[in-house]
Amino acid sequence: MTPVLEARALAKTYVSGGAHVRALDGVDMTVERGEFVAIMGPSGCGKSTLLNLLAGFDRPSTGEVWLGGQRIDGLSEAALARLRRRRIGFVFQFFNLLPTLSVRENVELPLLLAGKHRRAARRTASILLDELGIAERRNTAPALLSGGQQQRVALARAMANSPDVVLADEPTGNLDSDATRAVMELLGRARGRGQTLLLVTHDARVAAAADRIVRLRDGRIVADGRLEPARSVPDLLDLGGDT
Amino acid sequence: MTATLLKLAFAGLRARLLATTLTIVIGAAAAATLVIALEVRATGVDPWQRTFDAAHGAHVLMTSSSLADAQAVARLPGVAERDDPVPSALGQSTIGGHAEPVILAGLGTRPTINVPVRIDGATQPGAGVVLERSFADAMHIGVGSMIAVAAPTGTVRLTVVGTAISPSQARYPRSNPGVGWVSRDTLQRIQPDQQRWSWSEAVRLTDPATAPRFAEAAAAALPPAPDGGRTIVSWQDQRDVALMDSQPIIVVVGMFTILLLTVVFAVIGILTAARVAAQYRDIGLLKAIGLTPRQVSAVFLGEAGALGLAAVLVGYPVGAVLAPRLAAPSAQTLVGSPTIAIQPWHALVASAIVVPVLLLSAYLAVRRTTRSTTLGAMLAGVPLPVTSGRIARLIGRVRLPLTAALGVRDLLARRRRTFWTATAVAVTGTVIVATLQMRAAIDHPAGTVTDVPNELSALVYSLDVVLIVIAVTSLVAVMLLSVRERLRDLGVLKAIGLTPHQITSSLVSANALLSAAAGLLSIPLGIGLYLAVLNMTNGTTRGAVFAPWWHVALIPFAVPAVVAAATSLPARVAAAIPVNQAIRYE
Repeated sequence: MTPVLEARALAKTYVSGGAHVRALDGVDMTVERGEFVAIMGPSGCGKSTLLNLLAGFDRPSTGEVWLGGQRIDGLSEAALARLRRRRIGFVFQFFNLLPTLSVRENVELPLLLAGKHRRAARRTASILLDELGIAERRNTAPALLSGGQQQRVALARAMANSPDVVLADEPTGNLDSDATRAVMELLGRARGRGQTLLLVTHDARVAAAADRIVRLRDGRIVADGRLEPARSVPDLLDLGGDT
Repeated sequence: MTATLLKLAFAGLRARLLATTLTIVIGAAAAATLVIALEVRATGVDPWQRTFDAAHGAHVLMTSSSLADAQAVARLPGVAERDDPVPSALGQSTIGGHAEPVILAGLGTRPTINVPVRIDGATQPGAGVVLERSFADAMHIGVGSMIAVAAPTGTVRLTVVGTAISPSQARYPRSNPGVGWVSRDTLQRIQPDQQRWSWSEAVRLTDPATAPRFAEAAAAALPPAPDGGRTIVSWQDQRDVALMDSQPIIVVVGMFTILLLTVVFAVIGILTAARVAAQYRDIGLLKAIGLTPRQVSAVFLGEAGALGLAAVLVGYPVGAVLAPRLAAPSAQTLVGSPTIAIQPWHALVASAIVVPVLLLSAYLAVRRTTRSTTLGAMLAGVPLPVTSGRIARLIGRVRLPLTAALGVRDLLARRRRTFWTATAVAVTGTVIVATLQMRAAIDHPAGTVTDVPNELSALVYSLDVVLIVIAVTSLVAVMLLSVRERLRDLGVLKAIGLTPHQITSSLVSANALLSAAAGLLSIPLGIGLYLAVLNMTNGTTRGAVFAPWWHVALIPFAVPAVVAAATSLPARVAAAIPVNQAIRYE
């Protein structure tokens, strides 16, 4: 298998109130193409920091980040932005949809940025929204959607350009069980298309859908294990009501 | 409860330090403008009164070719003090190679009424001459210079031993020829023929208020003057004539004050509304924890009041320091001292205007939200996309580059903010267009005779600089706040692939397009404002002078350029913020 994403001795130290806080402390991790990896751990263990560094949202204090054989931690902001357009999709816990654009325009934007023609972008966005079951809300303002619907739009936006890697920071952290199931179904479909998924979660049932679980504690990987394949995502997420 | 509300108000100020600082800076500009206007205006009145007092001025001053007339006026009832009649004669002087007529007044040894007030050098002319200050300034001569005056016996050379002013002498060249004071002996040498002398009689009255009636009674009591060479003026007439020179300055300062305050208050409104809008969610939370709409309003009014007072505290000293510098040239045109006394009560006047404007802005901004439901208040600050309507369709049809289209969509979604930003830009442009017309009206080719004092140009230039500084500061403040508010969205845009350059382009191009439209609008508005002010001050717009068209045509280009520059820096800074930090911004 080819590693699509790699962290080498990745460390991040923040300075807060004069004190140095080591959020990530020498993380080595390799993610293979098409793999679904769940990152777990208690609050403050460095999960989100790791995801931010892998997405190029922040610079590591030391260490390296490699994407598809290219080292990306030293790239300029502009180069990182161009890289994200086609190769990385990111899903935030709090959706972070652009409030001044409609649902359809939010999904169209990455396509237009990637150079797609306006008409083609519109068509792709419509297909994605249709798949996600929110086609009828395409002209609605994101603020008027439920949390689950917003997260589906965020997923559509992240996957619009079929990126190599989809990074998701607690994508179900704010959702009820139905919405969680819907989001996980979508992630399962992406995986089925051969996309690589890296997901931060607190929820063991969500993590159970992954091929592999990486556990972090105090900025270090304390466990990295594979799960048995076979079960489908909806089976795993038979949550039995709200949790 | 009051203490809790105050605590909440100050917590709000601390939490939004940038908006707080910007509001104080712009409010301070308003306070400084008001103080400058009040102080400069004071130079138009106070110095004349001080000059009159220092000169022991004449309540009534009669000038006649007859010594008997002068003596008769001095004997009229109602006169409390009289002085010896002062003779004067017209001389032909040569100053710096130029022939210049001059009225020479022959002072007695001890004049007691309407005494020339010393500005520089000696008080008594002795064997030389004391020149009226505006005349000496216009001739570019001072103490120690020499003037030559033609006399029947040959040229009399006189040393300028001093300069002085008089409450009854208007500024040269409005009052032409200029005036000089010499001794009675010198006058005799220059014009020995006393038949060609004029006589002035200065009297003070028991009741100064009756001076106009006294002047009329004196004119009626005296025999008709055969040559019409007799004038009798009250102290009120002297003041009006003297202040005619300061009138354009007062008008100009008044106009600039109105224009500057228009800009500043528009921006204060925007900043306050923006501050409240940024806190819509907080308003909802305050209501959720049990504050009544009145208490929520009190929190925001408390904030606005504190900001207003802070603005006056900062602005008053600035205005007090700048006012004498701006007043000095204007005071040169008056028969008074250029120094002005700073009036502490002007701070109260500034407070009485600035603080209520801030309170009103805050009240209007917060009223809508406090009246809505708690949930409505929490959602009120969320901008909504414009997907339908004429403007949206128009934007959809125009194929703008993606970055510009994103910026324009954002402006459309924040319609209230966009309206006020465009208003601020249009008001600024309007003021600049009106100023260009004013400049054209007072400008005159070098060497041509004009009734406009030269110092007026210096004053207008100074006020132009103040206007531009305030206008640019205001635009930077509005743009800074506008960019700051969008930090989170900018972070998201970066996350999905916009480069920092594209983010900067998006912000700059949208604001430049908006300001180009506002700049175009400001041309007719500015010309209209100029004509309105002209009509207010002159009673007519006939004879209005307009700036060359290419000056005005620059506005729709210059204004967007300034706005682009003002947006560019905060946009670059915002675009450089890492995504993970930007998306945490609330």
